[in-house]
Amino acid sequence: MTTTRHDRTDVLIIGAGASGATAAKVLTERGLRVVALEKGPWRTKETFSGDELASINRYDLWPDPLLNPRTHRTGADQPATEQLFCPVPQMVGGGTVHWQGWLPRFTEDDFRFHSVVGGVPGASLADWPITYAELEPYYTAVEWAFGVSGQAGANAFESFRSKGYPCPPMPMSRYAEKYHAGASALGWNSFPTPQAALSQPFDGRPATVLSAFAQQHGDPTGTRSSALNVFVPHAVATGRYDLRPDSYVREITVDERGRARGAVYEDAQGTLHEQRADVVVLACGAVETARLMLLSTSARHPHGLANDNDLVGRNVTFHEFSSAVATFDDPVYAWAGGGYVSASSFQFYAHDDDRGFAGGGHMASSGVGIPLPINWTMPDRPAWGAEAKRIDRELFNHSMAASMVVHDLPQHDNRVDLDDTVVDDWGLPVARITLTPHENDLAMGRFLIDRSAEIMEAAGATSVQRVYPERVTGNCSHQHGTTRMGDDPATSVLDRDCRAHTVDNLFVVDGGSFPTGTGANPTLTIMANAWRVADRIADGRDARTTS
Amino acid sequence: MTDDTFFDPHQRATIAAAMARMIPTDDVPGAAEAGTIDFLDRYLSGPGYVYAAPDGDGFETLTGRRLEAWTRRIAVVRERYVAGVELLDAAARRRGADFVDLGPEAQDQVLREVERPEGREEEADLARSQVTLYGAPVEVALQQTSAEVDLGFLPLLALHTRQGFYADPVYGGNRDHVGWQVIGFPGPASLAEVHQGLYTTIDYFADNRVHPGTED
Repeated sequence: MTTTRHDRTDVLIIGAGASGATAAKVLTERGLRVVALEKGPWRTKETFSGDELASINRYDLWPDPLLNPRTHRTGADQPATEQLFCPVPQMVGGGTVHWQGWLPRFTEDDFRFHSVVGGVPGASLADWPITYAELEPYYTAVEWAFGVSGQAGANAFESFRSKGYPCPPMPMSRYAEKYHAGASALGWNSFPTPQAALSQPFDGRPATVLSAFAQQHGDPTGTRSSALNVFVPHAVATGRYDLRPDSYVREITVDERGRARGAVYEDAQGTLHEQRADVVVLACGAVETARLMLLSTSARHPHGLANDNDLVGRNVTFHEFSSAVATFDDPVYAWAGGGYVSASSFQFYAHDDDRGFAGGGHMASSGVGIPLPINWTMPDRPAWGAEAKRIDRELFNHSMAASMVVHDLPQHDNRVDLDDTVVDDWGLPVARITLTPHENDLAMGRFLIDRSAEIMEAAGATSVQRVYPERVTGNCSHQHGTTRMGDDPATSVLDRDCRAHTVDNLFVVDGGSFPTGTGANPTLTIMANAWRVADRIADGRDARTTS
Repeated sequence: MTDDTFFDPHQRATIAAAMARMIPTDDVPGAAEAGTIDFLDRYLSGPGYVYAAPDGDGFETLTGRRLEAWTRRIAVVRERYVAGVELLDAAARRRGADFVDLGPEAQDQVLREVERPEGREEEADLARSQVTLYGAPVEVALQQTSAEVDLGFLPLLALHTRQGFYADPVYGGNRDHVGWQVIGFPGPASLAEVHQGLYTTIDYFADNRVHPGTED
């Protein structure tokens, strides 16, 4: 088969989701020519609708597991089975196309977590090589590009910020109101969850209409901010962004010295192309970036790209999400606004030695499961029959969840590698996830669910069911840690600028670079870090051209 | 119409009867009134009714890999339904009649028997462990994690009944929005309403919508 060659470009970015689109915006605005290859389609808001069946049950946004399988096992001695593990939309905009857009910042301690908590047996903890202070200007930049709605100062445990939020908080939902009331009764701090949706007109876009179809649906109104409707248009406007959707990258190629040369990819017609570049940036999400690096073997990199020390794919973390599910006599309409126009608490986010486990997590109110009718559920509800119908009728408008994000600890043997039997629809081995939760993860989950239940009880709930996480399912589509950054090449894949230690023109800008996953939703930090790394890449270019 | 259906008359009557036990009719409508069988029969007719157009005007034409995947998926699900009808009838005939001719309580017994075959509990549990949401929901799942092809007959039937009851009426079920009315979900009048940004849930927010400390 012939391969179509393309002219060399300054930077090649693989992926056009949260991190890839951020990097593209910054690099093109600083004058570099960027080619971006995105596996999925480039959709517009006109293709989205309030359709729960299509969006959630029929993989309109999810990767279809028949085409894009993954496998999962709980240990290297267990068989791996096909599972839609930690899916993220594979299209221009990536996970930000389906998200509700909760955008808390990490805290100063998150970046020095190992130092704060000390060693934990079985965990491979590491401090980040960068600090909160280094990232703070980039947090602000992303918040102001996106028009984030929030209330500066309302989170008593937030680290310093140089600027407030561009939009006031979202309107108060009834379920957020319950959450605030419960937390307040206990003397605990809570705050409106900062959100990537416009509570008022911003940057030429109107305010949100608060449709019920938000979380996991594409937004037909363009009022929920995403990489698709903010950073991609910014990059396109420069005239230097050549974004090629429906382009499946099979391999990152290297030159005779082992430096990244470019990528071989397949277009929608099955034609092979090769794109060369001075710099290659990986932005496929922690799972798929690790997979692509492991697929890219060569004489100089026989175990996969930049994988001399067998660390690519290791130390993966996933943020299991679970809830205390409460019911109330008065309706809470926990689907309104998409079920996640919420209240949050960082009351138990910081580490406390007295709890008997390391770390803590973000707690927040939300709908029950997917809060719309088809996928609404309650713990222990039968799947069918008169009783199932009764529960639907009585509780759909009267139930809500007090949820939490587990700050799961990295472990050396929790990893992504290549499955030895299952291939995707393009014929390449799929990502195999090997994962056992650490006892610390489970203890933290129990603790945070108990506190969440107390909030609901203090708010006057008539019943509360605690759903303790017992395993890791990847259910909140957060993924981090497969290519961790660090100053020591022996214990990390990337340096502090997210450049591969052993391939000096290869960068990773997605959550794979996170040494620890933290206890908060990661995408704001992923974008802030991608912005920082893109600045470093452009700085390097400027230094070369002016010297 | 023949292009828009899959079941033969007996299969259709059997599945319709089983769906009527999944979401039974009581003082308010159930699966029968919502037309969940129409939803399912059209879905199984082929890949022409998988995705409604975003504004609700017709259905998308699938191509390429998506068409391949849905053609495969529907083929597997069809087989499971054909076999499921036979299972239901076999179990029903031990009680002396076809499934459709049994009373509601006997139908429930047959469905439970097919769901948890005696002596094969382990197998039934294994099938359910593939799915967190529709088999025996023991936890609050955040997302739909099944591929449909990994579900057994009963979980599939429960899933599709629920979809036919609660999905937008454009898909052929939830007739006159009865599914939404039963649970009190004031959904949009049509997909177009959401698509055009006219559908809002602001009336279901708190009475005081402004956060303390952010008043003008």
